[in-house]
Amino acid sequence: MVRSLPQWGRMTAFGAVLAMLASFAWSAPTPPARPSKKKPPQPKLPELKTPEDKLKFLEAIRASFPTIRSSGGAFTAADLDEMMRKYISKETKTPFTPIVNDETFLRRASIDLTGKTPTPEKIRAFTADKSPKKRAALVDELLASDDYARKWARYWRSVVFHNSAANRNTINPQAFEDWLFTEFKDNRSWDRVVSEMISAQPQRQPNVKAEENGFQQDHGPNNFILACERKPDIIASETARIFMGISVGCAECHDHPFDRWKREQFHEMAAFFANGKYYMTDQDDPSKKSEVKAVFLLGEEPPSTLKPDHLRVAAAAYLVYNSDNYWFARAYVNRMWSELVGDGFYSVDSLGPDKDVVHQLIVNRVSSAFRYAGFDPKWLFRLIMNSEAYQRGIRTIDKPEDLFTSVRPARLRPYEIADNVERLIGELKGARGAVERTFAQNPSTPQSDLEGTVQQALLMMNNGQLQKQLSNSPLKKQLVGIKANDEMVREAFLAVLARTPTPDETKRYADFIKSSKDRNAAIDDLLWVLTNSAEFIVKR
Amino acid sequence: MFHQNLLSVGLNREGAITRRSLLQLVTGGAAASGSMAFLQAIGLNAAEMKKEGRACIMIFLNGAPSQLELWDPKPGTDNGGPTKSISTQMPGVSFAEYWPKLAQSKDVSLIRTIVGKEAAHERGAYHLRTGRRLTGSSNHPHIGSVAAWKLGDLASDMPNFVSIGNTPHGAGFLGVKYAPFMVGAAGRLPDNIVASVPAPRLDQRMKLLSQQDAELAAVGAKAIANEHQELYQRAKKMMASPRLKSFQTEPEKPEVKEKYGKSAFGQGCLVARRLVESGIPFVEVQRGGWDMHENLWQRMPATAGEVDQGVSALIADLKSRGMLEKTLVICMGEFGRTPKINQRTPEVGRDHWARNFNVLLAGGGIAGGQCIGTTSDDGTEIVDRPVDVDDLFQTYCHCLKIDADEEMITPEGRPLRIVDAGSPVKELLIS
Repeated sequence: MVRSLPQWGRMTAFGAVLAMLASFAWSAPTPPARPSKKKPPQPKLPELKTPEDKLKFLEAIRASFPTIRSSGGAFTAADLDEMMRKYISKETKTPFTPIVNDETFLRRASIDLTGKTPTPEKIRAFTADKSPKKRAALVDELLASDDYARKWARYWRSVVFHNSAANRNTINPQAFEDWLFTEFKDNRSWDRVVSEMISAQPQRQPNVKAEENGFQQDHGPNNFILACERKPDIIASETARIFMGISVGCAECHDHPFDRWKREQFHEMAAFFANGKYYMTDQDDPSKKSEVKAVFLLGEEPPSTLKPDHLRVAAAAYLVYNSDNYWFARAYVNRMWSELVGDGFYSVDSLGPDKDVVHQLIVNRVSSAFRYAGFDPKWLFRLIMNSEAYQRGIRTIDKPEDLFTSVRPARLRPYEIADNVERLIGELKGARGAVERTFAQNPSTPQSDLEGTVQQALLMMNNGQLQKQLSNSPLKKQLVGIKANDEMVREAFLAVLARTPTPDETKRYADFIKSSKDRNAAIDDLLWVLTNSAEFIVKR
Repeated sequence: MFHQNLLSVGLNREGAITRRSLLQLVTGGAAASGSMAFLQAIGLNAAEMKKEGRACIMIFLNGAPSQLELWDPKPGTDNGGPTKSISTQMPGVSFAEYWPKLAQSKDVSLIRTIVGKEAAHERGAYHLRTGRRLTGSSNHPHIGSVAAWKLGDLASDMPNFVSIGNTPHGAGFLGVKYAPFMVGAAGRLPDNIVASVPAPRLDQRMKLLSQQDAELAAVGAKAIANEHQELYQRAKKMMASPRLKSFQTEPEKPEVKEKYGKSAFGQGCLVARRLVESGIPFVEVQRGGWDMHENLWQRMPATAGEVDQGVSALIADLKSRGMLEKTLVICMGEFGRTPKINQRTPEVGRDHWARNFNVLLAGGGIAGGQCIGTTSDDGTEIVDRPVDVDDLFQTYCHCLKIDADEEMITPEGRPLRIVDAGSPVKELLIS
């Protein structure tokens, strides 16, 4: 897949668009052209004074690119299943795990699309539903909820801010999350969301304190750039990492040891985000600097006359709309696949050479289909979640050839754990922060590398506020009121683990309750065990 | 590279076992309880396993400190900047002026010619903590996790590796048994360490929990369920540990606390001493704030001052308690800074540089007063005795009596020596 770029690849795509744009009615009325003798005519570019101007300009670029134009038929979950079976069975004899039952599917899909486990009422209704298409219908229903938009807004908030060293006064993660919430709620396409982030240019406002929106951080889409401290080099490496899934950050100071990215390429990309000329410091002599012109990673060179605002739009266009940049669609597909299935086709943000991609044909096919579907996030959720690859039982996979023969059990995100605790026992107030901090993890780290900690265990076991609220919760009161132990255990399982207990489990806890002197305390013990179980903090 | 990373869970929980190690025979159980009894039964005792109480305190200076403002100053040259030098207890060796206390220590030794390979923070920090370079998404263990594995006691009621200030790297493929216990603020008991119910009731709960986790293991999540049990067993043991008070500074006399300095870092050093004293083999203490691309000379005095006071007090205190001989103290960052001063605004500083930088060592079999390696007058070249990161890790292993050639089995089944290459810096060693 790695190819050297032919000369024709330089400039053509964006140059053509700029030329096209020059004749668009949207831009200011064009004065009569007076061909210069020396210079070729420069494309007329619209003024970009506000974020709205930029969006309009991006819109125009989008419309003129072949990227979005559909070709070929639709790619469905059934097509995906067929492809998976074909390629995976070539490599391994390990059997696929069976498709999960309704309760497991409901909990899994609810967590994936809303971050929350389903209520007992929902479980009862879903399992009673006899419609053969109820799983697809559930996915649609969840995708339409506000919780869907909130869950994924939070996810991206944590991706963008987890590594950020920006001063707290200069960022507004909540504004970023709230903006993403509206974008996901309106099902804005991924290319537009990312374009808006990349092309933003928050300006320091004179005479306004940092904490009082001095960096225009209350405007949500400004916060990706602000998380990168407005530094061109950080913006470049985070753009490549998060939106292309490749690691060029280490090329900043030296040539990448195993990849094709060169130090110069890194700085050429950073130059898109400078407010004026961009200089690269000499490696041996930091007092020497050389000016670097903006060139995108695949060799695209914008016209040299572009002003900073246009350069940023150009960077967004090269990232998103150049169909040679298959990394953009693939990075999103790989990340979502990794979130949903538990493993990616490669580590989400540190892809080395392309040869490290497993089942490359599959991920590339899904990625191009995602592009032809207009980068529609919901389309991708439907494709994956309606497939067998997503609906299989869990297993810990330990051989690369066995990937996607089953789903990997995955740890919930810190805010999901906090939400689910709060759903059971009410608002945590003070303890919520502790839960989120203690379970914090880099959302870009593959699930297979994540580990729990002793501190997490201590928090769930002993936190005073949590234990007290659990013991006084409406759920506890409800359980105490159920006289039959079997029935009480069942309700506890449905509420905490969102599933019916097995006969063994029912008997074990019913016996335990029966043999206890203090039924009230024994119910506390049952709730303690279920909320402390691995299953409570894991997607199965 | 990819496969290594992707597939670590399946094998790593139980797969990180050396060929020679007996641990292979006892790691099947969730808590590995009874391992000491087993080892005693076949003729080894706990003291031998713990290598005579060898321990290590790693002081990590996050952000990469400037070697010219640490222990390799170049006064009177363009590159030296305004930093003055002071003489030390090592003959002919000067430190930058910001380090008056460590300059007076007879126990410290210095390597001035570490040759790094990484000049980006994340990669350098990975290299200097694991001895390995970050390739793709590697999952190598922190040297503290290796020490926890080789020197620690798995049946211990305390963690074998404590990180004060939260290390970014963990046990990697060695698994949660050897993962660092992170302490945000030094000096008080860890959060939530007090049980919410009396012991017999907790035992009952734990028994039910273990059965509950077995249910998850049975449906396909064995690795995650076993790891969860491991963590809960460790948490429970720790809650009951009489050694918990070593996390606190309270029992120390005010003059001892003052000697370490009032800073969070200084108190962290004091807690590190207390933890090692209570038998914990590896403690990391962090002090960030060294990424001085700008304002270097404005920021250096206070930052260096805290570390000078804390580390010198630590070394002196270990010595006065007879612990220095067996406790290796390491003080370093992830790389160095460019000898040439940059032209940043508003105030200049130094950028990233891995070609030559400094590591300070004391105790644990290191002879005090040695200075290894020389750099050129302008600080840009090594003139004499380059030491690479493998040599450094060989030296750690020698001091801690860890066999650097011992093999770990990586998740993909490849044997990997604890340290791949290099040799100990012999000039530094007492024997």
